[in-house]
Amino acid sequence: MAKKYTLDELLIITAAREIKDGENVILGVGLPTIAGAMAKALHAPHATLMMESGIIDFEPLVPPNHVADSHSCRGFSYATDLFSTFTMTYRGYVDVCFLGVAQIDRFGNLNTTVIGDYYKPTMRLPGSGGAADFISYAKKTILTMRGGEFVEKLDYFTSPGYLNGGDSRDASGLFPKGSGPVMLLTTKGVFRFDNDTKELVLARVHPGVGIEDIRKDIPWDLKVAPDMSETDRPTDVEIDFIRRFAPTEVVGRKLMYELGIAYALNKAMARKK
Amino acid sequence: MPETINKVMTAKEAVSRFVRDGDHLVIGNYTAGTCAALVFEVIRQERKGLTLYSQSGVFDVEVLVGGGCVDRLVSTYVYRAGGKEGGAAVERALKAGTLEMEDYTNFQYHARFVAGMHGFSFMQVLEGAMVTDLFEKRTFMGENKYKVISCPYTGKQILTVPAANPNVCIVHVQRADRSGNAQYWGALGSVASAALASKRIIVSCEEIVEHDIIQSSPHLTIIPGYRVDAVVEIPFGAHPTEVLGYYNLDRVMYALFFMSDMTGEGLKAWMDEWIYGCVDRPAYLDHYMAKQGAESLDAIRAKSYYSAPANYGTAFTSCWDNEGKERTMGVTLDEMEKIMEKKGLLYG
Repeated sequence: MAKKYTLDELLIITAAREIKDGENVILGVGLPTIAGAMAKALHAPHATLMMESGIIDFEPLVPPNHVADSHSCRGFSYATDLFSTFTMTYRGYVDVCFLGVAQIDRFGNLNTTVIGDYYKPTMRLPGSGGAADFISYAKKTILTMRGGEFVEKLDYFTSPGYLNGGDSRDASGLFPKGSGPVMLLTTKGVFRFDNDTKELVLARVHPGVGIEDIRKDIPWDLKVAPDMSETDRPTDVEIDFIRRFAPTEVVGRKLMYELGIAYALNKAMARKK
Repeated sequence: MPETINKVMTAKEAVSRFVRDGDHLVIGNYTAGTCAALVFEVIRQERKGLTLYSQSGVFDVEVLVGGGCVDRLVSTYVYRAGGKEGGAAVERALKAGTLEMEDYTNFQYHARFVAGMHGFSFMQVLEGAMVTDLFEKRTFMGENKYKVISCPYTGKQILTVPAANPNVCIVHVQRADRSGNAQYWGALGSVASAALASKRIIVSCEEIVEHDIIQSSPHLTIIPGYRVDAVVEIPFGAHPTEVLGYYNLDRVMYALFFMSDMTGEGLKAWMDEWIYGCVDRPAYLDHYMAKQGAESLDAIRAKSYYSAPANYGTAFTSCWDNEGKERTMGVTLDEMEKIMEKKGLLYG
């Protein structure tokens, strides 16, 4: 019988399958680095994994804590700086990047900066980091949203997707032709972008999720792909890889903290005895 | 060997001499290996009115803002976790109106220092950001946050950012010599340019090494000694963050910090214990070991994985061979002088 899997495992594995052999991939922290590690180990051995801090062509041994984590690998092929990592993206040498999303609009424009008024924030989020420049110049961008929201209008426009839809991104002359987001992964399903209108289209739903569950989160009339189906299930090999490589990500931050703090306290108690 | 200038001092002396109220101060480290001990010293010395630059302002920015040192912040990424129930010092200060922040992208931020380190007044950045609110929404930098110019060669509209030249950079590296030649490896980020763009530079390091070590591995030197004002040897100077080749991120300590940081009171209690309550880094480490056990530090200590040595060797290091003959002409110095005399080449 096939192995059971968690929602996070499904998301990581679905993202990993988007990485093709031989591609140059910029990885952000969390889900993307694990997806990148899985792709490299299982189906894309010639992918070049990169982090924006200038760590180029690394083989992750443990999940990186952040995008400058040279401790997650044992050396790497090319040490450059952040500036050059972005100029190589600008020049067209990056195939895929991954970005997390707090707010997304109908055309894949993103907010990761603030909820509420920028000048009087309700919630101050991290900001752009590398996001605005990567989604501008990577050939394709994969978006992940866990805990974010779909909105008609972003509270703050951090990173450009397809602007006003249609050919507006290409027509602006500011971006490489054909670049932009290709996929949005959420906790409920997988979205793609319509070839002509560049609107988000529901392509897959995760097991146990109904289309209505998804529609209720979306403030516009959601388009559904004609071949919409359930998200492909992970293989046992993929699940095994993720559990061995990233056990703390598999259990989730909350349970990791719970178990981690209990373990630390136990050790402290044992020391006092 | 010529005698080098000794710039070694304590963190207390370095901060007291080179960091002033109202300074533009840049954290040289990017995400990894934050110069935590120097940051704590700035907080203990109660510097005020700083304009703080941090590429990825997480642990460092949280404590400096929490300590009331910062009026203005230039960054690309600030700490936020914990969802609606979460919180952070930057968010609390923005809400209270005690902090102004200017947002850039990672590339734009670094570009400001690349311009600054080379003495240029601005740098071209990637034009896609022109359509975003990064471009539209500005705080204290106003019209000088970005300017759009026309490329003199292509006529294309180009987005630019102004150079950054902070008064002082504080930065932690693996090793340095007494005169300040600072060697750093790992994630290069924007570390070198943040330091080199600055007017004064304080380097803290895991260990001070002899100049010979530096001389045989110049590819690892990111800041030349002549630019450096102070060198401070601080083992575990980046803890609870990490230093490649020395120790990993202390995940438990880091998690406990961010749990405390969810509220203003929590952060204050954490800072009282770990910053104000510890007079310097050795005191911090003593407190840590008393509380968490020395084995917690041992558990994150790096196992060695040495870089293959680069061979800087050459065929010879003197113009004169073992017999005292010049290698090209085949004569000794004595013979050469006689020949020059004979040919009438010498005066006086």
